[in-house]
Amino acid sequence: MNSTEILNLKNQDVTENGTYKHTLQPIVTGTSVLGLKYKDGIMLAADCIASYGSLARFRNVQRLHPVGKATILAGSGDMSDFQHVQNLLEGVMLQEHCFDDEQEIGTKSIYKILSNVMYSRRTKVDPLWNKFIVAGIENGESFLGYVDLYGTTYQSPVIATGFGSHIAIPILRKYAEPRASDLTEAEASEILDNCMRVLYYRDARSFNKIQKAKVTSAGIEITEPYSLSTNWDFAESIRGYGA
Amino acid sequence: MFRNQYDNDASTWSPQGRIFQIEYATEAVKQGSAVVGLRSKTHAVLVAIKRSPNELASYQKKIIKIDKHMGIGIAGLTSDARVLSNFLRTQAMNYRMTYDRQLPIGRAMESLSTKAQENTQNYGGRPYGVGLLAIGKDSKGPHLFEFNPSAITPEYYAYSIGSRSQTARTYLEKSYEEFQDLPLNELIIHGLKALRDTLPQDKQLDVLNTSIAYIGDDSDFTLIDGEKTQTYLELLDSSMDAMEVE
Amino acid sequence: MTSIGTGYDLAVSTYSPDGRLFQVEYAEKAVDNSGTAIAIRTKDGVIIAVEKIVSTVLEIPGSSRRIFPIDHHIGFGSSGWVPDIKRLIGIARDEAWEHRKSYQMPIPPKMLADRVALYIQAYTLYSSLRPFGASPMMAGMHGDEPYLYLFETSGAYYGYWGCATGKAKQLAKTEIEKLDLSNLSTRDAVKEAARIIHTVHDDSKDRLFELEMSWVCKESEGKFTRVPQDLYNEAVEYAKHSNNDDMDDDEEL
Repeated sequence: MNSTEILNLKNQDVTENGTYKHTLQPIVTGTSVLGLKYKDGIMLAADCIASYGSLARFRNVQRLHPVGKATILAGSGDMSDFQHVQNLLEGVMLQEHCFDDEQEIGTKSIYKILSNVMYSRRTKVDPLWNKFIVAGIENGESFLGYVDLYGTTYQSPVIATGFGSHIAIPILRKYAEPRASDLTEAEASEILDNCMRVLYYRDARSFNKIQKAKVTSAGIEITEPYSLSTNWDFAESIRGYGA
Repeated sequence: MFRNQYDNDASTWSPQGRIFQIEYATEAVKQGSAVVGLRSKTHAVLVAIKRSPNELASYQKKIIKIDKHMGIGIAGLTSDARVLSNFLRTQAMNYRMTYDRQLPIGRAMESLSTKAQENTQNYGGRPYGVGLLAIGKDSKGPHLFEFNPSAITPEYYAYSIGSRSQTARTYLEKSYEEFQDLPLNELIIHGLKALRDTLPQDKQLDVLNTSIAYIGDDSDFTLIDGEKTQTYLELLDSSMDAMEVE
Repeated sequence: MTSIGTGYDLAVSTYSPDGRLFQVEYAEKAVDNSGTAIAIRTKDGVIIAVEKIVSTVLEIPGSSRRIFPIDHHIGFGSSGWVPDIKRLIGIARDEAWEHRKSYQMPIPPKMLADRVALYIQAYTLYSSLRPFGASPMMAGMHGDEPYLYLFETSGAYYGYWGCATGKAKQLAKTEIEKLDLSNLSTRDAVKEAARIIHTVHDDSKDRLFELEMSWVCKESEGKFTRVPQDLYNEAVEYAKHSNNDDMDDDEEL
């Protein structure tokens, strides 16, 4: 341990019995992010809100972050930790740029780096409080992977974090997963819109202003934020919902 | 005792802007038996001559595998080479763990260069007394690099280091252009021809003293030693016979 | 040379009676022995051109480059002892990244120059170290403003409109001085830089060489990158044409 790290340790909260407290809860949070594989690559969706507890604190936040030429990082959970990870990856990519050797790292490497970081932080019981989706194309192959604050990783044709893992996953499993290889862009887009809409109806930390992103062989494309149409007529008939 | 005032250590410049200790370390490389490296568009090859201190001893190891996709041939202080190959292996393993892919060989050489440079700027240290030829592959295909005590790491189509390696280089300079499209076997034969040029009159390449290694687009680093080199030595002989007939 | 044999030139921690540090001067000799590097600053950019001397045809063209990116907006060109240069490149990259990390902003070229210079200077203080045998030049942008600095082996550095180091620095300087730098476009500066390197290259001493050119300017969107291939080719054509009388056409590898 070097001197700065020791200094940092001393600055941590120390409890009465002499143990250290690190991050115990996320503060400003983003809710679910979704990802699916389709015919031409990978598509992701996230809304634009960052909540402070139940307060809708920031309503124009981009949670789909491009890394390099063919990778997108989608972040849910603590937004400051997400920003920290973005900075960290900026450093990695700057290093790659400086090598100037046409050997720039791809999606799998970025996923591996992030997984290592997340696991090593959790091993220090000082996790980065996030659930991430890493998506991209490397050597013509689509990649969609998940990593969270425990350092847990898995890859799947459909992934959702947070509330989405309860509400969007069944929809994605039904409409997207069985057809991952022949799903068109328009269909993929519609499925994600529908998932985000259902999430907006059910997840109180969500928002109907969303962004989508795709990685195809042509590269990365991230949409401008746009609003999903909603219809609240159904609420009238449900007791305890809305009005 | 010393040849001049400026050659005691690596932290002194000579009035001409030279660092003699580095130049002397380069001489140590020339004491080692020769290694030849060459590449085509699809393969990279190392061939080397192994020495044996006496009849009862085994032959020294000249080619060391670093990783599935990388290996080195050494000339000079073997103990220094072991330190450097250990370093390279560690780098390659760490890179796999961190990035989930193979360490590009150019970057391996870069980190080796950084490590070796430190030995050339501080008092009390000495430059590494070993030269390396490294072959490896990345997304751009096969590569051949040299490392020498000055910590410079150039990339070559073909090169040789070690004792009497200049004669091999002369051969390579003459014929390197035709290597580009050759199949692996013929590339190895060219390597052996260059290597044979470095031998003194009374010495021959044989199964005991010859080491061959290659890497290719469709093959990992492969070392051929001992009896297995027989095939290539025979191919070498028949191609030399053919040349004489011509 | 009066310095030799006096004993005052064996360590960089020793002054000579007339106040010189001979080891620093000797380090400069290493720079003078290496290929020429020049840089030209125009109104909206900087171009670096390097004569990379190639010792054998066996070396792969385009390998072992002597121009190095430091950050997106800064790059180094170099003459001197390559391993020493690389050490400095590593230092510069670390400093640039530390600044980015701390301030979420690219490091101003002036600030980076200052830090690199301090590092070079530190290696002129102790008998256990030797000075860097490198005299790199740094090109960078801060907003729309281009910057060019040249470091000396002593750790001194100055800002320039045009500078040269290496074998033919005198000749190259004279050539740069002839240019109308306040009106030269960056594209034209690329051509002139190529011409100057071709002019000062000594065919009789070094048979083979490669011309490396990188720039940072408005056209490159403030990024330090290699000069685009078509412009590079155009510049080489121009250089050969201009030097038709005294150059053979075998300088291209």
